[in-house]
Amino acid sequence: MIPDYLDRLARELDFDSSLSRRVRQEVEDHLWEAVAAHSTENMLEAQQRAIAGFGDARVIAAQFAVVSLAKYSKRAGVAAVMVIAGVFMVMKARIAWYTAMQWAISDDLKAIGGLVVQIDRYSFWLSLIVALGGWAYIRSRRIPAALHPAYRRQLRRFFLLCSTAAAALVVSVISDAVLTALQLPGKELSAEFLVPIVSIVVEIACVGILVFHIRGVALRAASTALLSA
Amino acid sequence: MEGEMLKGHLDMIVLAALSAAGSAHGYAIIEEIKRRSGGAFDLPEGTIYPALHRLEQAGLLSSRWMTADSGRRRRVYTLTRTGNRALAERRAVWKQFSDAIGGLLGATRPRENPA
Repeated sequence: MIPDYLDRLARELDFDSSLSRRVRQEVEDHLWEAVAAHSTENMLEAQQRAIAGFGDARVIAAQFAVVSLAKYSKRAGVAAVMVIAGVFMVMKARIAWYTAMQWAISDDLKAIGGLVVQIDRYSFWLSLIVALGGWAYIRSRRIPAALHPAYRRQLRRFFLLCSTAAAALVVSVISDAVLTALQLPGKELSAEFLVPIVSIVVEIACVGILVFHIRGVALRAASTALLSA
Repeated sequence: MEGEMLKGHLDMIVLAALSAAGSAHGYAIIEEIKRRSGGAFDLPEGTIYPALHRLEQAGLLSSRWMTADSGRRRRVYTLTRTGNRALAERRAVWKQFSDAIGGLLGATRPRENPA
């Protein structure tokens, strides 16, 4: 009976495997201790009593899910800032490489290059400022006991901020890719091109990590909402 | 006591019980709450665990695994310094609130008939 209850509880939390494992172990210890406290009873009755006293598995899982969602959202806020900082460092490293190699955009492409640099600069700073705002916002929220409407609104705001930061970062990375492409005409392909190309791949990977975290928040929010319904 | 009323103060109840019990696992915290409240708090026991996780997330508790005499793994919680401070603040607020309500209810007298 207790193993069935633990399976049900762990299954409800399988969207967060480490939480699911931890909860299962903690609750298992609790339930068997409750059974031991009523050792004079029939074993089956003692198990029934322990489970009834603990509460409905789905209701308890919903409360754990809110904590998991809050934890993951805070982690996503940190990840957004770290990822954008990572893109910044890669960008600076590439520019240093261009300077060291004395690479420059050819005169006939300078006008378009200047425009792309402006787009790149503004979109990057927009993404950083919005991500910092999102991180500060979610960090300052208290973790609620349940997924109440006010917390849903807070999560929606955070999701919007993260999505805006990600969209701005995508524009910035595309601009970086265009600027890298503008360096190519008139130069012979060589191993030196690997550095800017790899740096663009790293930037794309950073965007991927950010999108992965935003998606994770959305999935956890959906699972928590389903449990809380 | 009303479940909804209790839920609003659950964090304070858990912090206070843990402060009294020292380091303790979930079951012992629940037993401490029952003992100190004279059995007045009748919440599903499972509700305490998400509260413990939430308080740990907020940095008010720390926890570690240990092995019980039964051989089962057990998560033991301890109040952090921030948790102690938070409990002291909540105690002060509660005292203020309770004094105010006590004064208000104690001062209630039947209204005199103006006629």
